[in-house]
Amino acid sequence: MYKIRSRFYKKGDMVFISHLDLVRVLERAFRRANIPMAYTQGYNPHPIMAFATALGVGISSEGEYIDIEVEKEIPLEDFMGRLNQALPEGLKIITSKYISKKAESLMSVINYSIYLVKLPFTEEVGVEELKNRLEEFTKLEEIIQVKEQKKKHRFKQPKTKEVNIRNSIVDIEIVQVEEKEAILKMTLAAGSNGNLKPEIVVEKFKEINGMPIELQEVRVQRLELLTDLNPQHLTPLDIDV
Amino acid sequence: MEKIEIQDILYKVEKPARYLGNELNSIHKTINESTIRYAFCFPDIYEVGMSHLGMQILYHLINNEENVFCERVFAPAIDMEEEMRKHNIPLFGLESRQPIKHFDFVGFTLQYELSYTNILNMLDLAEIPIYSKERAEDHPLVILGGPCAYNPEPIADFADIIVLGEAEEVQIELLELYKDFKKQGYKKDKFLQEAAKIQGIYIPALYEVTYKEDGIIEDFKPRVEGIPSKITKRIIKDLDKAFYPESIIVPYLNVVHDRVALEIFRGCTRGCRFCQAGMIYRPVREKSVERLSNLAENLLASTGYEEISLASLSTSDYSGLQDFVRGLIDKYSNDKVGISLPSLRLDNFSLELIKEIQKVRKTGLTFAPEAGSQRLRDVVNKGLTEEDLMNATEKAFESGWSSVKLYFMIGLPTETEEDLVGIKDLAFKVVDIYHSIPKEQRGKGLNVTVSTSTFIPKPFTPFQWEPQIKLEETSAKQSMLKDKLRRKNITYNYHDAKTSLLEAVFARGDRKLSKVLAIALEEGCKFDGWAEHFDFDKWMGVFEKAGIDPAFYASRKREYDELLPWDHIDAGVTKDFLIRENEKAQKGELTQDCRTNCSGCGINQGFIGGIC
Repeated sequence: MYKIRSRFYKKGDMVFISHLDLVRVLERAFRRANIPMAYTQGYNPHPIMAFATALGVGISSEGEYIDIEVEKEIPLEDFMGRLNQALPEGLKIITSKYISKKAESLMSVINYSIYLVKLPFTEEVGVEELKNRLEEFTKLEEIIQVKEQKKKHRFKQPKTKEVNIRNSIVDIEIVQVEEKEAILKMTLAAGSNGNLKPEIVVEKFKEINGMPIELQEVRVQRLELLTDLNPQHLTPLDIDV
Repeated sequence: MEKIEIQDILYKVEKPARYLGNELNSIHKTINESTIRYAFCFPDIYEVGMSHLGMQILYHLINNEENVFCERVFAPAIDMEEEMRKHNIPLFGLESRQPIKHFDFVGFTLQYELSYTNILNMLDLAEIPIYSKERAEDHPLVILGGPCAYNPEPIADFADIIVLGEAEEVQIELLELYKDFKKQGYKKDKFLQEAAKIQGIYIPALYEVTYKEDGIIEDFKPRVEGIPSKITKRIIKDLDKAFYPESIIVPYLNVVHDRVALEIFRGCTRGCRFCQAGMIYRPVREKSVERLSNLAENLLASTGYEEISLASLSTSDYSGLQDFVRGLIDKYSNDKVGISLPSLRLDNFSLELIKEIQKVRKTGLTFAPEAGSQRLRDVVNKGLTEEDLMNATEKAFESGWSSVKLYFMIGLPTETEEDLVGIKDLAFKVVDIYHSIPKEQRGKGLNVTVSTSTFIPKPFTPFQWEPQIKLEETSAKQSMLKDKLRRKNITYNYHDAKTSLLEAVFARGDRKLSKVLAIALEEGCKFDGWAEHFDFDKWMGVFEKAGIDPAFYASRKREYDELLPWDHIDAGVTKDFLIRENEKAQKGELTQDCRTNCSGCGINQGFIGGIC
């Protein structure tokens, strides 16, 4: 058995398929591409694959990761070439490498995610104003997200839990501001560090700082999933596995 | 034609992948002035429509034609429809995202009666007038086909063209005729009159119906000369030579039937008297093992599916089943391709075969005794005994299954309380059989699910004259069963009687019902097959407004000499045969399987020249 770790993108129309859809698309692409996948045991065998995190519907990504297992070693060019032929437009393997069978799972090595977030405003917002507001926002010691817990009983009110998300916000910088639109770059905790969605940050930013953000039209793109930020950015493919 | 911009809406709606239109193996063509545009519409949401084999066949068949572009259209989900209406977006073809109101043909497949309001709603959303008489020359021609087209009268006023029977050949003939007309100067009425001469094509506007005072049909006749007074269904003679797609569209979403569906034969020789499919799809025609093996190989390779399902009305009756299934197992078990065999009968239920299939992927087991007592099973000609069921379940439990489903109908003709008690007795016996098997041999966690639905008399069956039981009777029978089936390990499910009533009305309805459907559209009835959308009280209001009594259609016993709304359609089985069968049913006499003894249904008179 051999393990392959790959980086891929999910963009264009493919942002509209869910994580479960993606799993099916990949499974079927592996078959069509004749990749000698290893399968799980049991009554419902599935090709063995694991992802770093699940990407929400509507979010595009330049840096997704997947680990798969193959039964026999095949040249990586073959693997990537054949698979990319079988994948729909909007999904593409960018790099692949063989990793040790004992390598830690993707989910456990991921710590940060970097996003580009497009904020449409209902009225004009100046660069200075946005800067100041963001400063105010990131200076807060507590940013509370009220999470609804899963309903356990049909008739009971669902319980809510308060979570301080401040520490999950590593950095927010302004990339670009135009009349009624701004683009922010957010570095947020991901994976084993706790997962913070940029949409939540935007919601809170609007709520706390009264920003005129059109929430329905916020667009999010993931740029990177990282295992480390300092001293340098490391991706799951950079680390020694 | 402009492409409709829907990108922003896709971010707002649930499951936007329903509307992408670029799934694997979908077809996208370059469009020019002369391209004939065809919208193949399925009047339900994407996940249901994409599970339908007929659509996959016809989509690829029509797209095989040069200069014809066939696209898919499904009923948009409620949230999508809201967005579309809010932004004035007319219904569009998934592939091109262009409004179907500018297409040449808009075809709907009629799979179940409860989708009729969706058809009207989709026409409305497409900005196409619902009544054929209100459509002008430049509107698309609305074509209806599919099993419900055998009695198309309730929706006849909305259709320009109705296709009867198997469409593979007649669809192409119709397109050829259309191409000819386009070359020589197209006039709708001339085209329709010519089309009416093709076998299997019914143009409702060219026929006139008159009614007697009591609402029963007095006469049905052509308005013009040169078209048949009785419209005969089409069948494909040789299925091996008939078109079958080598690739099918693979949805992104998890649809209801998400696998390769391979049709192994058409028709059924069993002759169950309640079963419309068993009558209208006659005669039995098989595909050869060789053809099937080729198709299986190509379909699996082009889709990457992990499961293949052998589709037919009674899979175990396929003469090459053992050979074919073993071949599939040998070839594909290494690739972990699962095989599913729906519609297996338990009297020749080949457990060994199932066991082998299960080595790859495990599936559930469903048995359909249909009725609880031997007497009633004989009435419906379900040649199945209690012993058959007990043997089959015993073997299943011994082989490790612990969950079985039993399917029954309530309200069958001649049903008494004893027959219902029989349902309980069967279920209890199945539980007892499980317990009689040593613990170490049987699977854990027994679950016997009993499902009942209300019998709906359908056209072209021996029971087409019979009344459906009334709502109160159904409720009483259901609560009795609920009470009797209260036992550990037994789950009882039953189908809503109110939707069955509506289905019964439209199944045997006449043209007077078009008014009901038009009012239902105004009142906002749609997705009637979905419990969360079906509003019975609203429907009753609609009937009242239209001045139509649903009981006239659902619970009235017809006389043999009554002119039925579908009597102008020739489905191959003769009325004499149906009467004979109904008489035998009342006496509880069995009719043999056609493979053993010809029952003289009439299908071999003129359709395939005497060989069944």
